[in-house]
Amino acid sequence: MSSESTPALLKGAAGVESTESGGPAPAGPSARSPRSRSTAAYARYAAGKLAGAAVSLFAVLVTSFFLFRLIPGDPVKQMTGGRQVSTEQIAAMRREFGLDLPLWEQFTQYCGKALTGDFGTSYQFRAPVVDKIAEALPATLLLTGTAFVIYTLLGIWLGARSAWRNGSAGDRANTAFALTLYSVPSFWLGLLLIITLSVGIGPIPGLFPTGGMESGDTEGFDRVLDIAHHMVLPVVTLVAVEYARTLLVMRSSLLDEMGSDYLTTARAKGLRDDLVRRKHAVPNAMLPTVTLLFVNLGTTVAGAILVETVFSWPGLGGLFYQALSVPDLPLVQALFFVFAAAVILMNTLADVIYPLLDPRVGR
Amino acid sequence: MTTSMQKPEPLEPDARKPSGQPEKVVPVQSPRALTRARRRQAVARFWRQYRTHRAGLVGLAVLAVIALLALTAPLLVGADSQSVTSAPGGPMEAPSGEFPLGTDQFGRSLLALMLWGTRVSLTVGLLAAFLSVAIGTLIGITAGHFKGWYATVVMRITDWFLVMPTLVLAIALATVLSRSVWTTILAIGVTTWPTTARLVRAQTLSVESRPYIERSRALGGGHRHIMSRHVLPNVMPLVLAQTTLVISTAILTEATLAFLGLSDPTIVSWGGLLQDAREAGAVSSGNWWYLAPPGLAIAVVALAFTLCGRAIESVLNPKLGVSR
Amino acid sequence: MVTRVPHHSTRPRRRLRLLLASGVAALALTAGSVVPGNLLAPAPSEARADDGKTTLTVAVAQSVDSLSPFLAQRLLSTSVLRLMYDFLTNYDPKDNKAIPGLATAWEPSADKLTWTYTIRSDSKWSDGQQATAEDAAWTFNKMMTDEAAATSNGSFVGNFEKVTAPSKDKLVITLKEPQATMAALDVPIVPKHLWEKVGDFSKFNNDKEFPIVGNGPFIVTDYKVDSYVKLKANKDFWRGSPKFDELVFRYYKDQDAAVAALRKGEVSFVAGSPSLTPAQSASLENAPDIKVNDAPGRRFFALAVNPGARTKDGQKFGDGHPALLDQKVRHALFMAVDRKTIIDKVFQGHAVEGEGYIPPRFGDYFWKPSADQKLAYDPARAGSLLDEAGYKKNGAGKRVGKDGKPLDFRILCHATDPNDKAIGKYLQEWWGEQGIGLKVDCLDNVSDPWYAGEYDLAFDGWSVNPDPDFVLSIHTCDALPAKAKETASTDNFICDKQYDELYKKQLAEYDPAKRADLVKQLESRLYDTGYMNVMAYPNAVEAYRTDHIESITTMPSAAGNIYGQDGYWSWWSAVPAAGASSSGSSDSGGSSTGVLIGVGIAVVVLAGGGLLFAMRRRSTAEDRE
Repeated sequence: MSSESTPALLKGAAGVESTESGGPAPAGPSARSPRSRSTAAYARYAAGKLAGAAVSLFAVLVTSFFLFRLIPGDPVKQMTGGRQVSTEQIAAMRREFGLDLPLWEQFTQYCGKALTGDFGTSYQFRAPVVDKIAEALPATLLLTGTAFVIYTLLGIWLGARSAWRNGSAGDRANTAFALTLYSVPSFWLGLLLIITLSVGIGPIPGLFPTGGMESGDTEGFDRVLDIAHHMVLPVVTLVAVEYARTLLVMRSSLLDEMGSDYLTTARAKGLRDDLVRRKHAVPNAMLPTVTLLFVNLGTTVAGAILVETVFSWPGLGGLFYQALSVPDLPLVQALFFVFAAAVILMNTLADVIYPLLDPRVGR
Repeated sequence: MTTSMQKPEPLEPDARKPSGQPEKVVPVQSPRALTRARRRQAVARFWRQYRTHRAGLVGLAVLAVIALLALTAPLLVGADSQSVTSAPGGPMEAPSGEFPLGTDQFGRSLLALMLWGTRVSLTVGLLAAFLSVAIGTLIGITAGHFKGWYATVVMRITDWFLVMPTLVLAIALATVLSRSVWTTILAIGVTTWPTTARLVRAQTLSVESRPYIERSRALGGGHRHIMSRHVLPNVMPLVLAQTTLVISTAILTEATLAFLGLSDPTIVSWGGLLQDAREAGAVSSGNWWYLAPPGLAIAVVALAFTLCGRAIESVLNPKLGVSR
Repeated sequence: MVTRVPHHSTRPRRRLRLLLASGVAALALTAGSVVPGNLLAPAPSEARADDGKTTLTVAVAQSVDSLSPFLAQRLLSTSVLRLMYDFLTNYDPKDNKAIPGLATAWEPSADKLTWTYTIRSDSKWSDGQQATAEDAAWTFNKMMTDEAAATSNGSFVGNFEKVTAPSKDKLVITLKEPQATMAALDVPIVPKHLWEKVGDFSKFNNDKEFPIVGNGPFIVTDYKVDSYVKLKANKDFWRGSPKFDELVFRYYKDQDAAVAALRKGEVSFVAGSPSLTPAQSASLENAPDIKVNDAPGRRFFALAVNPGARTKDGQKFGDGHPALLDQKVRHALFMAVDRKTIIDKVFQGHAVEGEGYIPPRFGDYFWKPSADQKLAYDPARAGSLLDEAGYKKNGAGKRVGKDGKPLDFRILCHATDPNDKAIGKYLQEWWGEQGIGLKVDCLDNVSDPWYAGEYDLAFDGWSVNPDPDFVLSIHTCDALPAKAKETASTDNFICDKQYDELYKKQLAEYDPAKRADLVKQLESRLYDTGYMNVMAYPNAVEAYRTDHIESITTMPSAAGNIYGQDGYWSWWSAVPAAGASSSGSSDSGGSSTGVLIGVGIAVVVLAGGGLLFAMRRRSTAEDRE
């Protein structure tokens, strides 16, 4: 989902770099810290990161409240639009939703409740927002999780191959293909896949379901199959547009690594080429990629909005879009919070874990 | 990214003297002319290196063609090709000699609409990218230059923006504001600047640690002077690369917002055409010829910008090893 | 249909192969994630085809908001509730007249204030208890006393004084004022013995225990949020059991996906809400075993004018264009609208040209203007009307008022409605020729400017019920807001004395023929004001598979719609096609064939990818030697 990947090719780099700000120089080859760093320093660093994350989460909470209050339109009127309702009914609904209270009061109530994990009741579904999200979350996690695993493996594998034979025809083709798919709007790719593989064009039969997550008439193992069958096209779409990022970061970090002396030494010692690659170069080059993976994991959840829309996938993205049109404020706020929180948590995790992984930063 | 200025020296900072110091060693040329000559040289050197990147050249050529098409659209197809009342064809005709790409649901030629759409998509992409990069550069330079609490606060905000799900934020913004091209530009610009800010800040820090900045400061150069005369020229190449990359993101985001029905429906853009096609039911009717061209166009332009951006990046930092 | 997908074939072959390799690898890995399960799977379809259950799957573009009849707002939910619970009365599919439902008879008292309903004795809840007047009385009383229970249908009981059940088969409703719509109480009656245990009605969604106890033609057996609602036939339904054993409403976010599912036989029916697009219906008409039902709709699509927003006590607000206060300008605008082109181009024939306020489908109340009353398309006459009103064209061809200001209007459009946007484009050009500027303001949610009166014109449309009272009531002075910008039941701030008098008369008229006549006079008055200009009655275009459904009742039965009827006729009456005993399983059979083919392709791709990979590996290894 390319628009999600805004900082695009550079986000990975930025992710790595983000560890460079503050803290006892946790990362990077140019680590300024003394090689032997005390556990206390690390704990302080990690605590700092966690505190930062907490602040960010609170900021997101505040934003989610005010940002969506700005959406024009009265949710109650929109919900009852076109139906036979009396003024009393509308007033009663507004009271029920707490929309008749002054804004600051709504805000303090919202924050107070959110801190205890209560995001209120959805206007349109009359169910606790937390329940609605819990219902949709597995679908999103299944879709994005599967896609994530596949594009990560694919990206790392192709990226490593590409870098190893930098400049070869294979490398060029590989990069070109990845970049092309990366430039394709994901929703468009999804629609084309539906036209060709789902609706079927000419001799191509409709192989896959057009949308949804399951047919609803299967049990047990058949159900697993059925869901897998429904997942193929959305997963292919996500993988196609996402794997380029991993590939490029993997490729460039491996290229960085390949200039290193120890590799030359290893090769000079007569070690087999692919052994050097597998045992030495790739593991080291994985570090920046790992950071990117966390960033990816966080953004893919929100990034699936488009793919979920195109494939009628019953996940968070679809829920967000439905909620936005009302606007179903409690639901929109909570979803926004969830999307942002996913990214924050993953980034924090990356920041915290990175120094532990980097062998060059002695512990 | 801190290493990006080592190898190529297109704008080697020490080469330029603070402008307050007239150059006495070369009396024939004024300092200004000297600077200009150096810049010209730098650009020439840059171009020589850029030329070696085949992909970058291809991207550039594609962009040139598309820009030409966008500029000449009124001459090529005429303004009335957007009119619905005088539409020449029937609704959703398949491609034919008269309408090479078929017609839309009003009977307008899709080829003509694609050409008009080029203007909107490119304009939005460029303006949004400029907005984004301008914000990012401003914040990056100031945060790198003024350290202390200002930098801390600003970088906190940047970090916070960086983790915001961009699409979600853009959708929210586009929903909050009224539907227009400007809203789209704003939504993209406001949500995509943090990466640029981070990169520029890092670069600024590295530039400011060089000795000549110290010298300039000692000679009485103020904040504004240092930032605009020393730091800015040095981060410019990076900003340029970043801009090209952001444009391709911006074009994709524009298409996405239009596709979600969040842009001005009265304006013809590529994303808008996709949305029209979908609303008209082109997907299930198997009218791939309505759906395919706008998406392809978006992909081609986004790819072209990406290729250029990568080529520029690798000229600046050969270590990235972009394939030639 | 052209079958070729454009691809680049000009590249040298070697590079193509490399490209393919990486593409194939992407596919292979994806497929790989699916394959392991597939390989082990027995063909699942056979087992299920044997039980011979017939299933009717309906693709809908909406998800259920709530299964509680007290909360549900959406059309899908209310349609499902219709199937779950019997209403007091129903509408005859032939002519929309009220016919018995849970009540077998109903009559008003002489003073018109008391209605007595006789409740049938052969309606049972699916848990075995009998449905009685007691249940009905409890349902209405709950709505009258509990604000939360009035959320969705409160308007029906607004005029109720008292509801009692003197015996098991008698329901007595006492009114505050006479009301002619008492045979049109579209309120699901729920079983008291279960619902009285519910605590907070604002939170109870009726979706935790299945099957849900009801007395309608179908019983809900399963519901998955954003995915489907599953119902089974109620064999004991008093009117007779439905012919299909199972009815499933499956949610597709995307109408295109629903249409594709119909083509493939994954579903039997695609709901026409929103209506299928002209392109979709054209392509489906050519498809085998599919019937497109192009039914006269129950909606009108109008150009509403802001007559100057005001409150009940006459306080003005909003910023409607003053020029529109002139009836001549309103008429001129509408006369410059070529409705025939709208029908031909925008709806591509899937609509009927607009005349009176109520669509022709409701024959009793349908009215059309006489020849000299009619505001037919006549740009020249529109021009002279504008001249008369004092808006002459200036040198640049723009109409300017006496104050020298150009005539520029705004029109509110629903961003989610393609027809609004399309017609907006036409209006811009037609009115542009008259020298009038138009700004099309498309919003996701138009309610804010709408209720604030901050618009000049607006695209407006309502679904009309068999009893037209509601759509008429929204143009009375009574419906105006109490305070400025407050939400109110008014549609577009119309307040007209003559209209109000006629409205009151028709509501108190219990004689159907006389009431219909009064309604027509109302429509005539509304037409003349030029505040509500009906451009079209869009058809409800829907489609179904004839190899799944043998026959199905439309409403009106002569030529009518299937989804979203006022009644349960369509689903209750649908007859499975001969081969459809496997229709439910044929679609799963289809999907399992799909799975098998998918597996096949995945295996081939995987093997091919692996082979290519191995080959390239070897060749690169050789290169390196």
